[in-house]
Amino acid sequence: MRRETQNILLVLLGGALLKISLNGTYLRYVKPAQLPWLIAAGVIMVVVAFVSIGRDIIAARRPLETDEHGPGHGHHHGSYSTWLLLLPVLAVFLIAPPALGEDSVNRADNRTPPPTSSEEFGFPALPAGDVIDQSMRDFVERAAWDKSGSLNNRPVRLTGFVVHKDADTYLARLTIGCCAADAYPVKVKLDGPTVETLPSDSWVQATVTYQPGTSTKESRYTPTVTVKDLKPTAEPEDPYEY
Amino acid sequence: MTAAVEEKAGDQRPRRGIGITSLEILCVLLVLAVVFQDSLASILDIPKLRTASTVFVAVCVQALPFLVLGVVISGAIAAFVPASVLRKALPRKEVLAVPVAGVAGVALPGCECASVPVSRRLIQQGVPSSVALAFLLAAPAVNPIVLVATAVAFPGKPELVLARFIGSLATAIVMGWLWARFGKLEWIAARALERLPEHTGGSRWKTFVEAIRHDLVESGGFLVIGGVTAAALNVYAKPEWLDAIGGNIALGVIVMAFLAVILAICSEADAFVAASLSMLPLLPRLVFLVVGPVVDVKLIALQVGTFGKSFAFRFAPITFVVAIACAVVTGLLVFGGVG
Repeated sequence: MRRETQNILLVLLGGALLKISLNGTYLRYVKPAQLPWLIAAGVIMVVVAFVSIGRDIIAARRPLETDEHGPGHGHHHGSYSTWLLLLPVLAVFLIAPPALGEDSVNRADNRTPPPTSSEEFGFPALPAGDVIDQSMRDFVERAAWDKSGSLNNRPVRLTGFVVHKDADTYLARLTIGCCAADAYPVKVKLDGPTVETLPSDSWVQATVTYQPGTSTKESRYTPTVTVKDLKPTAEPEDPYEY
Repeated sequence: MTAAVEEKAGDQRPRRGIGITSLEILCVLLVLAVVFQDSLASILDIPKLRTASTVFVAVCVQALPFLVLGVVISGAIAAFVPASVLRKALPRKEVLAVPVAGVAGVALPGCECASVPVSRRLIQQGVPSSVALAFLLAAPAVNPIVLVATAVAFPGKPELVLARFIGSLATAIVMGWLWARFGKLEWIAARALERLPEHTGGSRWKTFVEAIRHDLVESGGFLVIGGVTAAALNVYAKPEWLDAIGGNIALGVIVMAFLAVILAICSEADAFVAASLSMLPLLPRLVFLVVGPVVDVKLIALQVGTFGKSFAFRFAPITFVVAIACAVVTGLLVFGGVG
């Protein structure tokens, strides 16, 4: 592959990294802490490519320099692999894959970890208020381990997307440690009149109450909740939990 | 560096006349991609492929900054650290230099993609290959960022962090010694061994930029191969395999070792995945954490690209076995059982 082509590929790849960093879609793929790294990497690629392009142009203007290296140019080891740099470029610019959704939740079904610690896990009291907001992760954790029953009869507002599996409907969210490749699902089973008509992967804000005793080893610590209220919501800027 | 300059020189003359070069091919590909954007997007509308494409982009986006970090450090070594300094910094005897290089891995805060270009550069600068390879294996697993991430993922289990550190360091040192004793330099592709000429004037910055450019272009493609493989396996690997393990520790160790290879999770994140597999005892999960940073599909692809096939297909399987052995022994000693 020619040097010019390599440089253009580098500009495109660096540009792709900068594009997702600046328009915020990088959050579909990695966690927020990666932002400075992404920008730095994108800038370095673009700068390195432009510096070489610039130098090549200057060098081309000069009269042909005497060849410093002598014969033996057969060094053109065809690195066809460089062409593959086009794949992420096209993926980012043309397809912009969405955040993981229902398919990953069902695929990684029940890889949901029983939340962190066990037995004497003390939970702080829930804040006061009619309806409290909680992350899916906190809710599922508390449902599994809080023996004081602090969730019983407490309406909680959860934000997640809809997942259908067999006849059941779930509200789910994916948790990532580093990037979307290591995502695992956190979900609650919805119990309500019309939940099965909700379209898959649509984001909703659900006000729910925990049905005591449903988060057990048998249910893989997936609590069942009674739905009090459901309203569609936009996909949050950051679709994952951490 | 010299290679790239020659490439350019070699390119410039025979041109003229016959028209098609990689530049035109690139333009045609880009135009085609834009024209058929809609049909491309609709192919990817199948949920499985959509998930795979997201995972693919995620792996690339996650790993590229570390690859850039690696090639920048590697370029800096090439341009600013004379080979003689490196030789003086390391113990004369290879047997002693291997553990020193392993511990030096603490200083490279990145994941496995960063350490491949750096260790190749060390070899080019005259560091013995066994020493550079010990560094390659140790750096992604023993650096502070990875250890802190492990501690965060396993709260209240400092013994696991300790076991990971010892197990990974042991793997690196054992592999370094094995390579020093049995390894053959001719397995490594010639292009990875070319010594850089010592600096005789010339701009160091020019060398720096050119080294970065060359390394990025060379290894970036292999990272993409790794990303595609990881995405495919992510979609096809069945989590039910884990259920089948039940209480069988030996089976658990083997399955987790293979899982580490095929999932190719960055070493800064693998602890969170291991933590989520809480149906398993600590020992198989430690194996996962020790094997992952030294052998995985993404890393094998990068090694093939950097050091050549005949190196990677010997080195990776042996590393795999050594890593399992080191992890199991360390785990049994540190946990006093399977954990």
